[in-house]
Amino acid sequence: MSIPARVLLVLLAGLFCWGVIRNVSPLKTGGFVTEQTGRIDEKPFFNKELINPEQGLPMVHVASLAQMPDGIMAAVWYGGTAECQPDVKIYFSQHEPGAAWTAPRVIMTRERAEQDLRRPVKSLGNALLLANPTGSLQLLFVSIAMGKWSGSQLNTCLSKDGGLTWSRAERLTLSPFFNFSELVRNRAIAQQGGGWCVPIYQEFLGKFPELLWLGECKGELTYRKTRIAGGCSTFQPSLIPVSEEYAEVLLRDYTISRKIHISSSYDGGLDWPFVTATELPNPDAGISGLQLSDGGLLVAFNDSAKDRSNLTLAIASKDRKTWRRIVALENEPDANFSYPFLMRSSDGMIRMAYTRRGKAIALTGFNEAWIRKQEATSITP
Amino acid sequence: MTQQMIHPLYGALAPWLALSLLVLGRNPRLSRTRITGSLLLALFLLRIPVGGWPLFAWCRTLEMNPSFTLTGLLGIALWQRLSGKVIFRSEDWRAAWIVGSLASLVLYPMGLGLTSIDPYSWGWGPTVPILTAACATLLLIQGNRFGIILILPPLGSLLHLQESANFWDALIDPFYGGLSLIALFYLIMAHINRWKKSHQAGK
Repeated sequence: MSIPARVLLVLLAGLFCWGVIRNVSPLKTGGFVTEQTGRIDEKPFFNKELINPEQGLPMVHVASLAQMPDGIMAAVWYGGTAECQPDVKIYFSQHEPGAAWTAPRVIMTRERAEQDLRRPVKSLGNALLLANPTGSLQLLFVSIAMGKWSGSQLNTCLSKDGGLTWSRAERLTLSPFFNFSELVRNRAIAQQGGGWCVPIYQEFLGKFPELLWLGECKGELTYRKTRIAGGCSTFQPSLIPVSEEYAEVLLRDYTISRKIHISSSYDGGLDWPFVTATELPNPDAGISGLQLSDGGLLVAFNDSAKDRSNLTLAIASKDRKTWRRIVALENEPDANFSYPFLMRSSDGMIRMAYTRRGKAIALTGFNEAWIRKQEATSITP
Repeated sequence: MTQQMIHPLYGALAPWLALSLLVLGRNPRLSRTRITGSLLLALFLLRIPVGGWPLFAWCRTLEMNPSFTLTGLLGIALWQRLSGKVIFRSEDWRAAWIVGSLASLVLYPMGLGLTSIDPYSWGWGPTVPILTAACATLLLIQGNRFGIILILPPLGSLLHLQESANFWDALIDPFYGGLSLIALFYLIMAHINRWKKSHQAGK
């Protein structure tokens, strides 16, 4: 190569590089939107219902809830003959205040995902619903390209009519190795100034928790991810914002310790210095957490190191050093109650969806006064 | 042309180049008919339905984002094969394998969870483009032609030719990474064998 050619090429490399870095900016978190807390001077309230009482599928699993700005609650879950099977579909139901949950409606099938993503899809999996402040609903869902969960990828689509119609799904590229394997499961937290912080996790060679930062730039979806921890020890994070900058995550266990793990971030979710085990057991099953109005932390979990035969609520003290079991919502030998999803609705009520015996999506609603009452009396309903 | 059309078109380029090289084989005598036939056959093979989907769709499932580096190297290999001229000298290929190996060793083990550091997230920031441009500059100053290939990732990234907006995907993919590690292994083994032979001759 002649010297002028080299100089020209170096200039081109610099120019293109400058063009690329002009379009990127360091990841800045807007700070978490802290979730509304409830009142404790109310009368204790508790109710339990099934979202899909007559769905009749061999398997339904992994429900998530969202509340739209007009107060309507919406739920999504997946169902079919079994996990990772081609007939698995994603179902949607909604609930207006004072009415019953609507009949489950299919919003995503393997065939629709294949058409949107223009590639073969083996099955569908976990779905998470986000209610944007603008009124639109955003669906994040797992598609399995090959194999089982390790061959999964995350996709998203949008509904501007309350879940009736959905935009063309697009795939998110989040992993360097064939984009395997990113999954979603727990509640997303809104960001100050717009956007979402979504707890996600990878289970390919390792199993570890991550955060997906969703935003928008010039009408286009933008995203990045950061890592909570590496290795093959903990995953399926449940993110709990305490203040704008301070947040905690509860983590499902994949070690022999069989304990729920916890970690904290002081910089808006960017760094998570330590992961420590709590005293609560975990049978390698999903958990969910929520901040209470007195600073305590509510946890829904399977209170066992070996099975999912009960679903229990516990409260951690403000310093997270002591954990107290307050009630077993479900408890039946050999039964399976799993994947709790906790959220707080705009009326201050705590809602929890979970998979009941693998056949139905159950929903409980309770307030903090009920929690205090359980705490005081330890009565199992 | 929308990005929904551009991404699959770009994504088809690397598989087509690789298949063309395979179809052309190692026969040194290449007639114009054979060249045209081979390039068309590769295109046809990508469209063969397997399980209801063209082969290309399965390639998309596995890798939607072939790196610009891999596409560039495949283009060079095909150009060399068709023209019979040496476009890339051995030192240019060596640089390609070394850069690919280094990038793989930095990206994949940690990107897949070896530590709590995630190098893949650097690809959404300025670090990886700057390092790539610095590497390209160094190679170009030395007159190494792989430096020209390293200009492709920032160019392709600027043009949004890939589905991914992460610069790592513009620079490297598992195929280029794996190929680089294998090639580097053979280069090192060859170097060791040469050193052994010269050492024995010296005795």
